[in-house]
Amino acid sequence: MKNLINIDSLTDIVSNSVGILIIFAVINLIHDNNKTYELEIPIEHETDLRPLYIISKDDRLLILNTEQVFINAAQEAGKGAANNKRIFDLGYQGLFAQIDEKKGISFHARGTDDWPKFTELQKPGSELQKQLQAIDPQQYFAYFFVYDETNPGSTSGSGFESFREARKYLQGRQVKSGWKPVNSDFPPSICDLSYSNECQYLPSFLGSDAAAKSS
Amino acid sequence: MASRASRYARYLPQEKLEISLFPFLSIFLCVMGVLSFINILSSVSTPQKIELTMELEQGYKVAFQVFTLPDGVISVPPINRLLALQQVVDEESRSLLAMIILRRQRVIDEVKYAQADPALVARPPNVEDISLWLYEMRQVNEMALRVNFLYEEFMLFGIYPNGGEAYQKVRSVMSRSGDARSISIGLEPLDANWSLSLHNQGAK
Repeated sequence: MKNLINIDSLTDIVSNSVGILIIFAVINLIHDNNKTYELEIPIEHETDLRPLYIISKDDRLLILNTEQVFINAAQEAGKGAANNKRIFDLGYQGLFAQIDEKKGISFHARGTDDWPKFTELQKPGSELQKQLQAIDPQQYFAYFFVYDETNPGSTSGSGFESFREARKYLQGRQVKSGWKPVNSDFPPSICDLSYSNECQYLPSFLGSDAAAKSS
Repeated sequence: MASRASRYARYLPQEKLEISLFPFLSIFLCVMGVLSFINILSSVSTPQKIELTMELEQGYKVAFQVFTLPDGVISVPPINRLLALQQVVDEESRSLLAMIILRRQRVIDEVKYAQADPALVARPPNVEDISLWLYEMRQVNEMALRVNFLYEEFMLFGIYPNGGEAYQKVRSVMSRSGDARSISIGLEPLDANWSLSLHNQGAK
């Protein structure tokens, strides 16, 4: 037993480990120097497709059922809750809303705990997958309101990663997508183009789409 | 006597030359610890490098890049293919193009100079600056169209975390600008640790 743990074998193991670590460090260095991120090049374009709105916040995604949202908003407005641009509880997935003549209806996502995490996109048969699979690419495109605020300890906007993953997933299903950054000062809003030029929701051509087609 | 001594020496235990491996082990362990630390550190904190240096192109469309940060915006206008365009346009357009190239080169030099901390060159979105970008882009696009030169500039926003406000301001100016109507727009989210690298950018 004493012979099994002698210093020769220990030195051998340690020196081998050092060698492997040196190789790792060199590979890391070479790899890092050559690593470039293929920046997606999206270009917005006009379309006849209708937008399906999705809010992306805290690594979660909420596919807005606009019909339900407008019914709820109309009911609350009827009760006077929306007077004087007051923020009211929409009674829909933790959303609060505000109605403004120019900005249309704005959403304030205060509670996102009930929204599905984007990681559910990897789970076959998940509710999120089903919802995204239900989008008809001939009629709709996905329009994301992506929160750019950072959570503590994160280097990314709270909705960036979920947006990227969802866009990739939809791209695989030939569903076009567009997006804009939002935050608590510039909340997501749905309004009509006849009120303001800023009320435009457009999908984008993606550079990777073009590359895939040409190859 | 001598034979007795030699006989005695023959039976003496031979002394081995023993080298202690402890110092080697100690050094190796130190090196291993340092290397492990460096490896872990580099995999965790090394910012992902993004090659935003070269002119981003999508077919004949070339990106006029605008990065929006919490402190403002950084513009990285394209130059390289303008030099080729300059060769085929008329005299008047050529001098206008020369001015545009000169101004853009100055902007790029400024960004390059402060590359270590891009936030230093970030400026709050200014209506005059944005209007000038849009005017130049429209001029360049129209020049290219007139001479059937396959070239079109579009505005590509790289949006960093908390850079949405600056983006909204730029878009707000664009929505009121006549020059912006013919300009295509793209936007892409960027993480805070994705660093800008601007070597090779500029007129060649």
